Order: sequence, then structure tokens, then C-alpha cells
Amino acid sequence: MKNRAERQPLPLMLLCWGFVLIWLITAAFPFLWTLWGSFKVEADFFSYADWMNAVTGTRTIQQTGSAFTGAGYEGAWVEQRFWLAVINTAIVTVCVVVISLTIGTLGGYALARSGFRYTFWILIAALIFRAMPHVTLVSGYLLPFFQLNIWGYLPTTIIVLVAINQPFTLWMLHSFFLSIPKDLDESAMVDGCTRFQAFRLVIIPVMWPGVVTTGLFSFLLAYNDFTVTSMLLTQENQTMVPKIASFLGTVQAENKVMYAVAAVVSAMGPLFVLVLFFQRQIVSGLTAGAVKG
Amino acid sequence: MAQLRLVNVTKAYGDYVGVRGFSLDIKDQEFLVLLGPSGCGKSTTMRMIAGLEDVTSGEIWLGDRMVNNLEPKDRDISMVFQSYGLYPNMTVYENIRFPLKVRRVPAAQQHDMVMRAAQMVELTEYLDRRPAALSGGQRQRVALGRAIVRKPTVFLMDEPLSNLDAKLRVSTRAQIKNLQHTLKTTTVYVTHDQIEAMTLADRVVVMNRGEIQQVGTPTDIYDMPANTFVAGFIGSPAMNLIEGTLANGSFTAEGLRIDGLTTAHSGNVTLGFRAEDATITRQGGQIAAPVYSIELLGEASMISYRIGGALVSVKAAKDYRAAIGEIVEASIPAGICHLFDTASGKRLGAA
Ligand SMILES: Nc1ncnc2c1ncn2[C@@H]1O[C@H](COP(=O)(O)OP(=O)(O)OP(=O)(O)O)[C@@H](O)[C@H]1O
Ligand SMILES: [Mg+2]
Repeated sequence: MKNRAERQPLPLMLLCWGFVLIWLITAAFPFLWTLWGSFKVEADFFSYADWMNAVTGTRTIQQTGSAFTGAGYEGAWVEQRFWLAVINTAIVTVCVVVISLTIGTLGGYALARSGFRYTFWILIAALIFRAMPHVTLVSGYLLPFFQLNIWGYLPTTIIVLVAINQPFTLWMLHSFFLSIPKDLDESAMVDGCTRFQAFRLVIIPVMWPGVVTTGLFSFLLAYNDFTVTSMLLTQENQTMVPKIASFLGTVQAENKVMYAVAAVVSAMGPLFVLVLFFQRQIVSGLTAGAVKG
Repeated sequence: MAQLRLVNVTKAYGDYVGVRGFSLDIKDQEFLVLLGPSGCGKSTTMRMIAGLEDVTSGEIWLGDRMVNNLEPKDRDISMVFQSYGLYPNMTVYENIRFPLKVRRVPAAQQHDMVMRAAQMVELTEYLDRRPAALSGGQRQRVALGRAIVRKPTVFLMDEPLSNLDAKLRVSTRAQIKNLQHTLKTTTVYVTHDQIEAMTLADRVVVMNRGEIQQVGTPTDIYDMPANTFVAGFIGSPAMNLIEGTLANGSFTAEGLRIDGLTTAHSGNVTLGFRAEDATITRQGGQIAAPVYSIELLGEASMISYRIGGALVSVKAAKDYRAAIGEIVEASIPAGICHLFDTASGKRLGAA
């Protein structure tokens, strides 16, 4: 059912597909390699002798009697209590996403609808804070946090992550709100809504894709953060990323590295689920038909 | 009582004044039409009544309440927006029901009210569609349906028919008129279509550059324009306006002299008359000039002359024919003439 305009010359098609294929391999290979390797022992996956060992699993068979082993996972999850880090990560990310989105939608809406000049400067300031390396902020926080005795706790980290993330959510949601015509709020208010009802009943349902997209970015920031979480959390409160890093830091002990590999693979799972689940929501063009032409 | 009173309402955007000193009493159950060229402040006036725009100065009274500081929702109005303002995530049915839901109308009544409104705007086939899947005219009817679904104290309609085709426009116009008659709801209606204004209005407000030019019944406005702007805006074609001088009841301009005007004024005046009031004659006409163009309108022929700088039209019978350049005489008796002061544009006493 392709029409003429969409049909492309063969060389161009080949080039496009070739490019996509190369990109796919480059992007997917490290992941697949790690996934495969996570079921081997350290002597295979980090083999000095022959990299093919990682594929065939020679040492794994020698040590465990089978080509695949769950030792890495068992060590990470049971022995090193990786599940604690998972729970911590869940708490941190959920809180960061919820708080960022709440402040971001309300603030972004207010900025988008207020006609005042200062909105521009607020947004510029937000951009500057966003552009600063996270570590500059964190190093400044350390001393006050120690003195106030709030260092090492999850809520502290959540607040810092929200602070780092907020400029971006505010900026992004602000531009989404700008793309929604003011007429919608106005009809809603004439139809009997308060400002807030108009926001909740009319604007947010239309904004949903924007909220989901922004929420996803916030999630990724909190989920992948290393700088803040590694510096602000105690051992037992650590989230997944610094935990994995700490596995890697202790290479002396046999098989500890494989804990890191297993943990990395575990940490990637939720990301796939998330993107698959929300990909239908991340669409735009929902406002079509709201106003004239 | 849904009487609406505007006292000296002004809206300024920085230095630019969108609406200036708008004062008007709108009677209960009245159908008021705001008419004026694009950008004259009609929508702004409406939006101030609705509460969507702050009033820079002046007062708006709804019944015996001063509503300047009331939220739109507390003013109990419903409005058709010039740009529709439909909710894109809701179906037509939900769009029309929205005001009922928000205002907590008992759920049992909602369905009937929605269906009645949908029938009125002929949308019953489209109730399940989203606005994106509708044509411009259909969207406009959804906006109209949403406004008429409940009975507010005041209806505000901002060009609600602008996107409908000619046939639907005539029938919807009649529906709106009938609806307003049945519901007896005070209505303010914005349009720049004169026919709409003439057919719907109890009273018409002609605006220009943010100021009221004239308020009156459609007949008043047509027969007694208050100034040259109204004269030149109302009617199709608009009134012929010729600048000249007046002395002792005689008006003279280049190529034109009209005697017997009953007026005490003298000096520079603008004389106006309507094309359909003047007639083509064989001899003794006040104008005897070459025909500049002839347009066949179907129900009449329109002869135009160039007199002074102005284009002057005279309506002739539909089978009348003349060649361009041919000298034709037209009779413009003093009785059909309107006189305006050239400097101020204001109408001069009985002509
Ligand atoms: N936010 C604003 N800032 C500055 N000027 C404005 C603003 N809104 C409207 N105006 C000006 O106010 C004037 C009146 O606008 P309004 O929308 O009331 O016109 P209108 O009579 O409804 O015209 P139309 O028939 O084209 O809808 C216009 O000249 C417009 O440029
Ligand atoms: Mg307008």
C-alpha cells in the first residue's frame, strides 16, 4: 500500500537498513554480552587465556559442572543483599518522580499561563542550574548535611535529586503546557471550573503524554544517578548504581566482580518493562481538534 | 433578572486601548448583537463580561451583583468561543455534558439535557466522535451545543456561525433566534456579518476601534446611522457618502447639486443616501454623469458613478442596461438624504 512518494531507491534503502543494523548491533551487543556472561564464572567472563571462554564457558563447566551458573545472582541478591538496594532505588525513584512531576506540572502550568516577564528569567535560571555538573552541588551539600545530621538518609537524597531534576521537568512541562491553547482553560472556567479544576479535569488529561514523557526522564535521572547517591548515602541505604560500583571496587575477593555483572543485568530489567509499558503513552498530537484550524 | 449593565468599561493593553468607555444597559431577555470590523474589540468586550479578561476600569453588573471580581464560574454564563475551545480528549457527548457535570446537575437529568442540545445543533450522529474527527462546522456546533445545554443567566456567543455553510448558517441562525425566544435568556452575540446582526438582534451595537458608534434597533441603525462610520459600514452596498458644502439648504459637490434640504446647518458636510433609495430617471436627475460600471446582481442592476473622489451606486431595475461611459441621470430627492458633519462625522439634525 505504499504510495509513490514513499517508495525510495534501492541503494538508499540498503544504506538506511545497513545503518540501522550497525547501530542496533553497537547498542545491543554490550547488553547481550553482559547478559550471557552473567551466567558464567569470573574466570570465563574475564578470562586471561582466551576470550572464547566467555562464550563456551570452559571454566564454568569445570567449576560448577554446567555451562551456566546462577552463582553471580545468588551472591549479589542473597549474600550481598542486593534486594535492599533495589528497594532503596524503588523508594528514591518513585519519590523523585512523584515530587518532580507534582511541582513540575503545577509550576510549569503557572509559568505557561502567567503573562509576566519574570517567567523567562526563572526558566533561564533553571537552565543554568540544570547545566551545572551535579558534583558541584553535592560537594556544597556535604558539610551542612553532616552538621545537621541528615547525611546518609534516603529523604535527603530524594530532596537533592528533586532539586537537581526540577529545572528540567519545569522547563519541559512548561513547553508542553504552552502548546495547549489557552482557550481550553477558558472554556473550562466558563463551563464552571475553578482554575484548579480546569487544570485537573481538562488540561492534565490532554497533557498526559507530556507528563509521562517527563516522568520517564525524571525516572531515568534518579535511577541512573551515581554522583549524588554515592556521596550522600550510607552503605545500608545505598541504591543500585553505587552498590554495583562497590562490588566492582572490591575485586580482590573471588567472584565479587560477577556479583556486579549479575546486579547490572538485574538493574536493566525494570527499564525495559517501563519503556514497553509507556511507549504507547509517549505520543503527541492529542490536542488536535481543540481549536479552529 | 438577568439584566447586564456595563458602566464605562475600558480595557487597555499597555498603551493600546482595546475597548474604551463602553457603557450599555442590556435588558433582561434582550438579544444584543455586537457588530464591527475585525479588531474593534468585540471579543475583548465579551471576554470581560465572561470574566476571562480583567477590566482596566469601569464596572460590570449582572442583575444586582457587581461581577468585576467574580471568577468566570461564578458569573453563571455560557459562552461559545470564536476558536471553539473544545476538549480534545472527550467525545462530542462528553464535551456537551461537561458543564452539567462540573456544575453538579443530577446525573439522571444529564443525558436528556445533552440529547436535547445535540438535537438542536444536529449532532446526534456524531456523539461518539472526538473533536479531531469533525469538520470545522461540526466543531462549531459542538461548541454551540455545549453552551446551550444548560440555562445560564447570560449567553455569550462569539461568531458562532462563522464556519458554517450558507444553508446551515441560515437554519442555525433561525434556531438560535428561536432558542433565545423560548429560553428567554439574555444574549450577547458577536458577529461581523450584518445580515446576522439585522435578523437576530433586538438591538445592535456598532463598534469601531474599541468605541461604541451607535446603539439601536436594526431599523434605527439602518435608517438613521449616527455617523459616517456606521453609514459606511451598514448595508450592502454601504451608504453612498459624498463630501461637499451646504448653504441655504442646498448641497453642492463636484457634479452634484441637491436642493431643498430642510436643515439650518451650513459649511462642510458629507451627504449620504442609500443606493436603493435613489432612482434612475430619464431627465431632471441630480446626477448626470457617465456610468463608471454596471453590476448585474440578479434581483437588480447596480449603476455606479465616480463623483468627486467617491464611488456612488444607484440601484436600478433588474432589466436595466447601460453601457459604461454612457451618460445616465439619477434622481436623488432631498427626502432620502442624510447629512453628516465632515469634520466630526456626526449626523446632523433632520435632513
Ligand atoms: N493580549 C493582547 N495584547 C495586546 N492587544 C490585544 C490583546 N488582545 C487583543 N488585543 C487587541 O485588541 C483589539 C481588539 O481585539 P478583539 O479580539 O476584541 O477583536 P474583535 O473585535 O473580536 O475582532 P475579530 O472580529 O477579528 O474577532 C485588537 O486590535 C487586538 O489587536
Ligand atoms: Mg473576535
